[in-house]
Amino acid sequence: MRHRFLPLLLLFLSPSCTQAEAPTPEPEVSYTLCNKNATAEVQSLWSLLTTQYGKNALSGVVANIDWNTREAENVYRWTGHYPALNVFDFMNIHASKDVNPSGWLDYSDMTPVTEWYNAGGIVGAMWHWQMLANDGVNRTCSPGIKPGETSFDASKINDPSSAEYKQMVKDIDQVAGYLKKMQKLGIPVIWRPLHEAAGNTYEFAGGKPWFWWGAQGTETYKKLWRFMYDRLVNYHKLNNLIWVWTSQVGDTDWYPGADVVDIIGRDNYYALQYPLKKEFESLTRLYPDKMITLAECGNGDDVDMSLWSDIWAEGSRWSWFMTWYDAAYNRGQSDEHQFAGETWWKNAFNSGVVLDREEVKGLMR
Amino acid sequence: MKSFRTILICTLYSVLCTLSAHAIERTILVGPKTIGKAWKDNIVLEARHFTDAKAGDIITVYHDRAKGTAQGAFQNPQNWQGVAPEYAYFGIKGPFRMTLTDDILAIARTHGIAIGGHDYRILYVTIADAADYQETIVWRGTPVQMKADWSVSAEIPAQSLMNLHEGDALRFHISKVQAGASLKLMDFTWNAIDQTVDGAPVGGEAFTWYILDNAPLLKIQLAGGGMNTALRVGGTGYRLDKIGIVQFVGEASEDLSQAQRAPKEYVLQPGEIFHGEKAFPNDWSGNLRISAAPFQKSTENDVLLISYKIDPAAKAAGVTPQLSLRNGYTWNEITGSAEPVWYPLDGNDVVYLFDPVALDAVKTRGFVLTGVGFTLTKIELISAQ
Repeated sequence: MRHRFLPLLLLFLSPSCTQAEAPTPEPEVSYTLCNKNATAEVQSLWSLLTTQYGKNALSGVVANIDWNTREAENVYRWTGHYPALNVFDFMNIHASKDVNPSGWLDYSDMTPVTEWYNAGGIVGAMWHWQMLANDGVNRTCSPGIKPGETSFDASKINDPSSAEYKQMVKDIDQVAGYLKKMQKLGIPVIWRPLHEAAGNTYEFAGGKPWFWWGAQGTETYKKLWRFMYDRLVNYHKLNNLIWVWTSQVGDTDWYPGADVVDIIGRDNYYALQYPLKKEFESLTRLYPDKMITLAECGNGDDVDMSLWSDIWAEGSRWSWFMTWYDAAYNRGQSDEHQFAGETWWKNAFNSGVVLDREEVKGLMR
Repeated sequence: MKSFRTILICTLYSVLCTLSAHAIERTILVGPKTIGKAWKDNIVLEARHFTDAKAGDIITVYHDRAKGTAQGAFQNPQNWQGVAPEYAYFGIKGPFRMTLTDDILAIARTHGIAIGGHDYRILYVTIADAADYQETIVWRGTPVQMKADWSVSAEIPAQSLMNLHEGDALRFHISKVQAGASLKLMDFTWNAIDQTVDGAPVGGEAFTWYILDNAPLLKIQLAGGGMNTALRVGGTGYRLDKIGIVQFVGEASEDLSQAQRAPKEYVLQPGEIFHGEKAFPNDWSGNLRISAAPFQKSTENDVLLISYKIDPAAKAAGVTPQLSLRNGYTWNEITGSAEPVWYPLDGNDVVYLFDPVALDAVKTRGFVLTGVGFTLTKIELISAQ
């Protein structure tokens, strides 16, 4: 088959018009914490984040499901570097031994957190807040009426007499207990609850929230966020938290407010350099007084994540990144890490713009 | 003497008959065939393999490189639906299997069976006679009806499972199956015993769980022996009638003369985005989704070159071969226009020039190529540099 017009066409195309694009200007904004009573440790961590923002990215991983540093160990085995940040997940608080004698983990045992922190690591926490599923047996974050989903109604946050309100307060208070232990140990926490609330509402027609805390819409969600903020900061006097709100891009209606959010996060599993840069720029425009972070990332169903060197070269200046866990890999049931493996991590640390645990330890203490 | 010789001959004949009737596991497809991301890949087992097959025979797919979230599927190539609800998608760990039914055989003998899913590589596929699998019923308690709220489960005592070994399978005989029926197998602590049976779709008359490694056996043994509950069978929308242990007693054939060969795996050359044969039939069912990954460093100077073969049947049917490039989410043309731009196909390659809007679109989310009356053979991204 011949290529009609192609040789002529290529002749006229100018090779001087290359793809190089100017990097995003480094921010010159003075970022401030919402909580004026933030602990000295939080202020020290905040200082690190703000001084590094635009210059370097902090490396991060999430725990393998809940309460460990398993993924950080993977990264160390591959690269000889520990990531700077380990994010724990309170998703299984119902099975914590301090509240459930037949539970299989113990959030009240701070050992994984203190060991990580004492080694120089930054501590993060997120919360896949599970409610009892409609089957009465399982727990889930997914809203709906099927047996494996939950019809838990977040709008009952407006009704203090309801069982749902009491359940939410009970759960928040349980998590507050663990966060308070960290505060007593002098550990600041990058805290990212109620994430991805809008789901894929703005991604395509028919999209909708995929977690129960977003299922009742923006007003309920914002009320719940502000309720949680008030409960943790004012009621429980937790001053060791840096609050990260996760945007789904296009979801400005869901933003709880600048007075209760310190950093804007974005979770992306179509993590190619070009769309990432567009999202970073969009969020920077929308929230100019906040730092922007890649709160979750990794290979997705359709594409493998771009190398960090390419992401950075494209112009993104995320404060940190956090790659997702692969439970099957960690059980030895998969040869390749599904979300970010050895090659990706080696590139990240060789990019010259990614900080590991040793480096942040040196910068902070 | 004559009668002794007759008896001997008869005996030998009957032994030979038994041996020849004793079926073997026969390889019907030889890979490798990569089933990559996003449900894009599949391979169709040709209909000829099922000419002599019968209900109860078992198809086994041996594979490697499975990611933790890998899923398998047995589909009808005619409409890409699962050949039965329980085979539309399922989690995979080790080799996965399907028991042929009369309904599935009707599809297989006409259209073949497609093996799909994502994130694994097929090594080979076999078919084995049902007789090669010997079943011993080990539990036949009062039938347990699984309720819609998942609140019911059957408790299986350890002694029923004492002869279960790695490589065996447990077959759960079920009835009164409703739409959306699911099965959940739990250990004595009520935790799912294996991720592949944590709400697995069920249908037909039985669900078979293959014991691929020692992990579930250890959980069963932890329950202790005797009448201690070692396994809980729960779920929704079906009735559990009995449970059998199935053991493979056949033998494997090394004869590959009738086996279908997977096409040689092609490695895309630099600049190639697609290479192969993808039909865009007259019924408009042909679509191909291209991710944004190949375009990350593209500029307006780049050119997309699309090669194809016109389908002779299209003209005969009065169809004008044509294609268009769409945004995969909005279905608009990739320049943003709600009205699609159709490129008539006259035998020459289609040369697509990016304007700023189209370039941004393909770098952000890729595109979907749609059209009618041709077979796509190649897409190349050519840089002026």
